[in-house]
Amino acid sequence: MALGILILPMAQAQQTGPLRIAAAADLQPVLPRLLEEFRKSTGIQIEATYEASAALTVQIQNGAPFDLFLSADLSYPKRLIDARLADTKGVPGAMESQPVIYARGALVLWTRKDGHWPNPSLDTLRDPALRRLAIANPERAPYGRAAIAALTSLKLLDALKPKLVTAENIAQAAQFAETGNADAGLISLTSASTDRLKSTGTAFVLPKGLYPPIEQGAAIVSRTGQRDNCLKFLAFLFSPPIKQELAKSGLTPVK
Amino acid sequence: MDWQALALTLKLATITTTILLCIAIPLAAWLALGRSRWRSVVQAVTALPLVLPPTVLGFYLLVLLGPLTGPGRAINQILGHPLAFSFAGLVVGSVIYSLPFAVQPIVAGFSAVDGSLIDAARLLGARPIRLVRTILVPLAGRSLLTAAVLSFLHTLGEFGVVLMLGGDIPGATRTLSIVLFNQVESFDYASANRTALLLLIFCAAALVVVYAAPKSIVRGPVEDHRG
Repeated sequence: MALGILILPMAQAQQTGPLRIAAAADLQPVLPRLLEEFRKSTGIQIEATYEASAALTVQIQNGAPFDLFLSADLSYPKRLIDARLADTKGVPGAMESQPVIYARGALVLWTRKDGHWPNPSLDTLRDPALRRLAIANPERAPYGRAAIAALTSLKLLDALKPKLVTAENIAQAAQFAETGNADAGLISLTSASTDRLKSTGTAFVLPKGLYPPIEQGAAIVSRTGQRDNCLKFLAFLFSPPIKQELAKSGLTPVK
Repeated sequence: MDWQALALTLKLATITTTILLCIAIPLAAWLALGRSRWRSVVQAVTALPLVLPPTVLGFYLLVLLGPLTGPGRAINQILGHPLAFSFAGLVVGSVIYSLPFAVQPIVAGFSAVDGSLIDAARLLGARPIRLVRTILVPLAGRSLLTAAVLSFLHTLGEFGVVLMLGGDIPGATRTLSIVLFNQVESFDYASANRTALLLLIFCAAALVVVYAAPKSIVRGPVEDHRG
């Protein structure tokens, strides 16, 4: 009897539970505001978990209860689509078995205003006085991969390798630099565009040609029970006002 | 297998355990024998890392002892670098994090020593240091072993603090638990399996040693007299 009372509300909660988004860590400074807007305009409960894209992929592979995956690249959602764990069925304009690109990210070099390099540039990376450069883990965070690509194009990778401190995800890389524990960080424009980081430091946007574009892809987790709500959220994400808001937050809209 | 990470992890655990035993033996003797009213406060502070999330410790070490604060700048002066992203930082974090695992077994061991022996020694004029050296340590040998093994294993398995503070630098802060995490997150399940199995077997074997050890391994002068 007592058990029944306990179990019943839980079973109901699962059916009408919130829409759960697995979101790349670069969305952490952007998405909460958008979720609030979405909640207000549709009444749909929605929540997000922020992690490195690879970490989220492992979690989805192992049955994590997510409905929608917003990766910071295309390779991780593609991996889930190939494993038939995710798809883009019903998304307007989506190509067969390809993630939908919802934005393009940018990599910046960020330093504290009260540090040695108040105005960072590519020369900051060449400065021997630079001791610790924070990046995201290149093996599982797309921004980390982009950082390594950029340093490789600049022919600085060998020189900087001993100075790299690797963060779990791109949000942690920003935190390493913001707390002054690292002298500088190669972080996402989304982190650098937050009020906090704008007031404490300066960002230098890396020239686009230095690294392959950070195209961010979305896919619906196939076993979701809320496909309609996923599609609603994606439509919301592609609506012109939200695209504008993404652009302001450091994510270039695609097309 | 990442041998560099294995060597680093063993080095970290060995140094941490050594430091911890040096701190824990006098501290435990004071806690077990002392009559100060501050004992319960010190006992609580010592036990704190047992219940505190490692993220709390990681946060304090990273931010309060980071280069933007006074104490952090002092550390920076002494070490020449911030605590974060360095082996020294991991040692500091590990010593705090494993402190209860060293102190609690020793307090229990010291408390279990026959009080009449301690009183007799005191009456004969033994000073606290001699008391600890010739009576408590020899008779509570097993608890010292337990403390050492538990501190070692707990440091070996430390993850949260290292993840927040480490920066994943090979040879400096990339420990086995971080390697395992990286392997899992990069879908390299075969390597992850090997790393996990190694940690599992090692920890299990070490615990078997603790539980199989005789009650008093170190045969001290006191026991010889009684026998």
